[in-house]
Amino acid sequence: MRYVPLTVLAACAVTAPAFATQYLSPEQAEKLMFPEADAFRPHPLALDTAQMRQVEQASGLPTRSAQWRVVGAYKGDTLLGYMVLDDVIGKFELISYAVGLNPDATVRQVEILAYRESHGSEIRLPAWRRQFVGKSARSGDLRIGAGINNISGATLSCTHVTDGVRRIAAVAQVALAR
Amino acid sequence: MKQRILSAALAAAFLAAPAAALAQDTDLAKRVEQLAAELEKVKAELAAQRAQAAAAPAQPVQAAQPVQPAVTAPAAAAAAAPAAALASDTVFSGYGEVNYNHPVRNASGAQTDLRRAVIGIQHRFDEKTKVVAEFEWEHAIASAEDSGESAIEQMYVEREFNNGLRGKAGLFLMPVGLLNQNHEPTAYYGVERNFVETAIIPTTWREAGIGLSGEFGDGFTWDTGLTTGFDLTKWDPASGEGRESPLGAIHQEGQLAKSRNLAVHGALNWRGVPGLLVGGSVFTGEAGHKTPDFAGNDARVTMAELHTRYTPGAWDLSALWAYGRISNTEALNATFVGNPTPVPSSFAGWYLQAAYKLWQNADYALTPFARFESFNTARTYAQVPAGLGVPTAPYERVGTVGANLMIGQGVVLKADYQKFREDKTLDRVNLGVGFAY
Repeated sequence: MRYVPLTVLAACAVTAPAFATQYLSPEQAEKLMFPEADAFRPHPLALDTAQMRQVEQASGLPTRSAQWRVVGAYKGDTLLGYMVLDDVIGKFELISYAVGLNPDATVRQVEILAYRESHGSEIRLPAWRRQFVGKSARSGDLRIGAGINNISGATLSCTHVTDGVRRIAAVAQVALAR
Repeated sequence: MKQRILSAALAAAFLAAPAAALAQDTDLAKRVEQLAAELEKVKAELAAQRAQAAAAPAQPVQAAQPVQPAVTAPAAAAAAAPAAALASDTVFSGYGEVNYNHPVRNASGAQTDLRRAVIGIQHRFDEKTKVVAEFEWEHAIASAEDSGESAIEQMYVEREFNNGLRGKAGLFLMPVGLLNQNHEPTAYYGVERNFVETAIIPTTWREAGIGLSGEFGDGFTWDTGLTTGFDLTKWDPASGEGRESPLGAIHQEGQLAKSRNLAVHGALNWRGVPGLLVGGSVFTGEAGHKTPDFAGNDARVTMAELHTRYTPGAWDLSALWAYGRISNTEALNATFVGNPTPVPSSFAGWYLQAAYKLWQNADYALTPFARFESFNTARTYAQVPAGLGVPTAPYERVGTVGANLMIGQGVVLKADYQKFREDKTLDRVNLGVGFAY
């Protein structure tokens, strides 16, 4: 009887459902974001100094990098939008995520590719990520407490991902929008 | 003639010099361009190598998903960079606070204290295995003559299994309440931690043992574990320590912890709606450890709590209820007759808190808050023969109003006023500075 808790723990460890820290590969993310696309082409982006300054103004954050990892999604010759890959530090560890953008630089979808912290993996919840959809660097509501609600116990992860999405939305507005 | 030739040669040389310099400049510019091109080529090769490395660990996940069209792979792979390579395996962290308390009715009791300084080290052995440790000093100086203490607040290894579960072993924080696992000064309102989560729930409450965490989906997360528990033989009926915090007086904190009796805990939290957290936890375990000649060997410590926090927009609202019980203490308390602090059979408390981010710019955020707490560390005692008992304590009710001023994300200045309903001599003004990184 004394060992019941141990047995239960061991049983849980063996029978739980399958998923891992690396939740999505970039290929899976782009397909999730643009299911109708028939081609994805790399669209490497290098910002010049003036653009970097514009991004800082639009996002209120340091641009951090001139180089951005961007993939264009196409159906035939029609551009459906872009996916930008990025990493931010959560509390201690890197969070890898992807932001899907419409051609007009509004956010189409946010996907978490990898989450490594012990706490706060709830940022993967669709309900949390759905808050970003349709927002842009212009709309001013890509902020925790102003358009994006926090997750209790994952404040830093939420803040840093939200800041990251805002920065990418600004990059898209400055360098990708049509 | 010679002179003429010489001067002509000199003149030619002078005239030619800028042209030669220009030629050299052009050459240099070409070489720089060449170098830049080569650098770009090397960068591209490096990126391709990294993309291959990054794509490799993703393959098991891919296998579980529908197969992607071949055309998609190169695009994303070329754009992907190795996330893991950017982060260090070993991360240092820290937090600390210095507090000033000024009892308004007893100015001579004013005190300033370096409440705590904590250094954290987290090291990741691989993608799924890490060790987390926090080293703490309280009250500035720890020595035989001083009242400070030095402690290991957490030290555990954590492994994530392929099925997504996280197992940990070592000394870790109990998944209880809102404060216990998020206790950095930047994470809570008020200079001092709230009373319910210090007097009733003994934050920072840690136990040694094993734990398991996972998710049910739809925003549910769970924690469970088998750990050390409390040691009732440490109860000192002559001191007031048990009145301040019954569990704080008998916690073991991984220090030569008696382990004849172990404890189990379980916690369930739901974060399905952005900004909302609803959760609860239960902990239970015997606390006598079959100690020879000890009258409390059947005693069991049980702690249950419910908590919620809602952060819509600029608001931060939270509520918590906690109830603790120590059963089978009749015989033990009979041996304590005549002492001021027998073991309570129950203790409990709750609080409501509201905070509002009133003002914010790029560097600062000002958040006033108000909290009301009600708690009782000696709510009931097990029955003792008439006339030998100690009266139960009244519920202490504390109102706190104040504000946190965040500077960036890591530094906080705090000020508040606390009013006590029962023991009015405790009314005080508090000031504090804290940081966490």
